[in-house]
Amino acid sequence: MEKIEVLGKMQEIYRDVLDNEEIVLTPETTAEDIEEWDSLTNIQLIVAIEKAFNIRFTSAEILSWKNVGEAVETIINK
Amino acid sequence: MEFKELVEQTAHLEHLYKVTEDVYRAFQIASEDYNSLHTDVEFARLKGFDECVMYGNILNCFVSHFVGMVMPTKDVMIQTQDIQYHKPVFLNDDILIKAEIEDKSEAVKIINYKLKFYRNNVEKPQLVAKGHVQIGLLTK
Repeated sequence: MEKIEVLGKMQEIYRDVLDNEEIVLTPETTAEDIEEWDSLTNIQLIVAIEKAFNIRFTSAEILSWKNVGEAVETIINK
Repeated sequence: MEFKELVEQTAHLEHLYKVTEDVYRAFQIASEDYNSLHTDVEFARLKGFDECVMYGNILNCFVSHFVGMVMPTKDVMIQTQDIQYHKPVFLNDDILIKAEIEDKSEAVKIINYKLKFYRNNVEKPQLVAKGHVQIGLLTK
């Protein structure tokens, strides 16, 4: 799967989980850029992403991400 | 408790509750909800019920106990919860909560349970509500 496809799918997930159709993800996006992205919704995002891509993350992987782009890289390498 | 242990020990979990007068009154005082459906039997009958309908959110209180006290560890916290009410619950009903794991994520230490609430004081248990609760395992 190409990075752009993964990013697009993640954007759909973010819009759905955070209930905000205006969210536009870029590789540089962080929690600072999205009002609804907090510690609780982050958990819901991780669960939704794991389900959508049928993958499992480790705690270390999640803690290492500095932005959406790094999460995309992890997904592609799964 | 390790996450895997919690998953194993709570794959199927159930607990029986009773909507006693004390439960009803305590919820009424806490919520300050004195709506006639819950307090006036004549009003409830006019609306098609045999007696006063119990507060749906009493079931949420039971879920609070279920997670906080029935789970095999105290290191748990409710993250999200939803309940759909299919049938009214009445005073002195026995309510059996059955929980099954629907989904889990070890990465963020959460478990999603599917919940079913049965009225147990009748010949054939009736499904009165369904829902979900997501719990997080506290790691610190």
